[in-house]
Amino acid sequence: MTRPLAAKIAPASSMGMRTPRTLDIEVTARCNLRCRYCYFFHNPAVDYRDLLTNEWLTFFDELGSLGVMKVTLAGGEPFIRSDLASLLEGIVRNRMRFSLLSNGMLINDEIADFIARTGRCDSVQVSVDGSCAETHDPCRGKGSFNGAIRGIRTLLRHRLKVAVRCTIHRNNVHDLENIAYLLLEELGLPGFGTNSAGYLGTCRLNADEVLLNTRERQTAMATLLRLTEKYHGRISAQAGPLAEGRMWRRMEEARAQGAPAFPNGGRLTACGCPRNKLAVRADGAIILCNVLAHTELGRINQNSLSDIWKHSPALNRLRDRHTIPLTDFEFCAGCSYIPYCTGNCPGLAYTLTGKVDHPSPDACLRLFLEKGGRIV
Amino acid sequence: MNPTDRPITNPIVVLREEFDDWAVLFNPDTADAVGINPVGVAIWKGLDGKRNIDEVVSEIKDNFEGVPDTAPEEIVAFVDKLAEHGFLGHELKNDNS
Repeated sequence: MTRPLAAKIAPASSMGMRTPRTLDIEVTARCNLRCRYCYFFHNPAVDYRDLLTNEWLTFFDELGSLGVMKVTLAGGEPFIRSDLASLLEGIVRNRMRFSLLSNGMLINDEIADFIARTGRCDSVQVSVDGSCAETHDPCRGKGSFNGAIRGIRTLLRHRLKVAVRCTIHRNNVHDLENIAYLLLEELGLPGFGTNSAGYLGTCRLNADEVLLNTRERQTAMATLLRLTEKYHGRISAQAGPLAEGRMWRRMEEARAQGAPAFPNGGRLTACGCPRNKLAVRADGAIILCNVLAHTELGRINQNSLSDIWKHSPALNRLRDRHTIPLTDFEFCAGCSYIPYCTGNCPGLAYTLTGKVDHPSPDACLRLFLEKGGRIV
Repeated sequence: MNPTDRPITNPIVVLREEFDDWAVLFNPDTADAVGINPVGVAIWKGLDGKRNIDEVVSEIKDNFEGVPDTAPEEIVAFVDKLAEHGFLGHELKNDNS
C-alpha cells in the first residue's frame, strides 16, 4: 500500500516561526495628550525621539523580506505623524496588514479615506474611558472625549473597523454601564475591549489617584461580568477586571473542588507574546514588548531582526520563562491557587518587583483576597 | 483545475517559510492565511504559470521519495484548494486571433 502524498493545508497558527509574524511598533514618541495613566511616557529607560520617514521605510522593507504579516502602529499618537500615509504605503508595499492604536482626536476624513483605500487595515483602536467628557476628560485632557467620539464616527463613515479600548480607573469605575450603552447601543459598535490602568509609565506618578483599590476592582469585576452577560459577550478583555473576574472564578472553583492543575498553571506561563511577536520603540530600539521597554535587543536597520529573533539571549530567556515554577518564589509560598495560576504579566512583574522572572503581584488572587476582596 | 492547466501563484501572496520546511501562505489583501507542509511548499514553488500540473507532478516525483500513484489527483485537489482561497489563478492571455 502506498502512503498518501499528503500535500496538506493546516491552520497557520500551528507551526514554529522562523521570524516574527507581527510587530508592535511605536512610530512616534509624540502625543497630543498626556493621560494620567499612560504606560508609555515617564519611563526612564526610554529615549523619547522619533525616527525619520526613510528609517521606518527601510525597516518595513526588511519586515517584508522576512514575511512579517502584520504590524500594529502605536505611539505616542501615530496620527500625529504628518508622514503617516507614507509609512502606511511602505507597509502595504511590503505585503503586510496593519492596525493603529489612537486616542482618536487627530483622525480626519482625509487620513481615514486613505486608510480605507489601502484595504489592509485590520482595525483602528480608539481609547474611550468615559460615557461623557466628565468621566473621560479628567484623566486624558480637556476636549479628548469629543475628539475620540468624532474620530470614531469618522472611521465608521469610512467603513473602517473600530476597536475601542476602555481603560478602567478610579474615576470611571462607576460609569461602566453608561460606557457600554454609549459604545454598543448609541454608536452601534460590535464590541469593545477593557483593561485597567497598570503601574507603568506615567501611571506610577499618579498611582494613588488612578489605580483601582480593592473595593473598586471588585465593583469593576462585578459590573463587567454583568454587562458582558447583558451584551452577550460583546465586551472583551485580555487583562484587567473582566479578565481577572473570569479567571479568578475558574481558579476558585478548581481550588474548591481540588481539581487537577490547569494546563498552563503553576508556572510563569502568562505571556505567549515572545513566540510570535516583537516590539520596536519610537527611537528604533527593538524590544521584547511595549511594557518591557527597557529590554533593548538591538536597533532597527543596524541589527538583523531575523538574528535577534533566533539568537537573542534575552528573548530566549523570556521564551523559557514558562518553565519557571511558581513554587520557586517566596511570594507564592503556601498559596493554594498555584496549580491554577500563570504568574501574570511580566511587564507589571518588572515594574512592581524589579524582576521580569517573577509573578506579578498586581493580578495575584491571594493578595486580592487578603486585602478584603471577594470573588464575584 | 486540469492536469494541463498552468496555474500561477498570486503575486500578492506571501510565502513564509517556517521551521521544519513548513510554510504559511498569507494573502495580505484578504488576511487569509494557511499552513502548508513541505510537499505543499514544493508544489507552490512550481506554480509559475509556465509549468502545467503534469509537469509539477513530475518534479515532485523527482524530488520526493515514495510518491504514490494517486499523486496527480492529490496535487490537483491541493491546487484547487489553493485556488479556492485565492492564492493562485491562471494568467490571462490576450487572444487576438
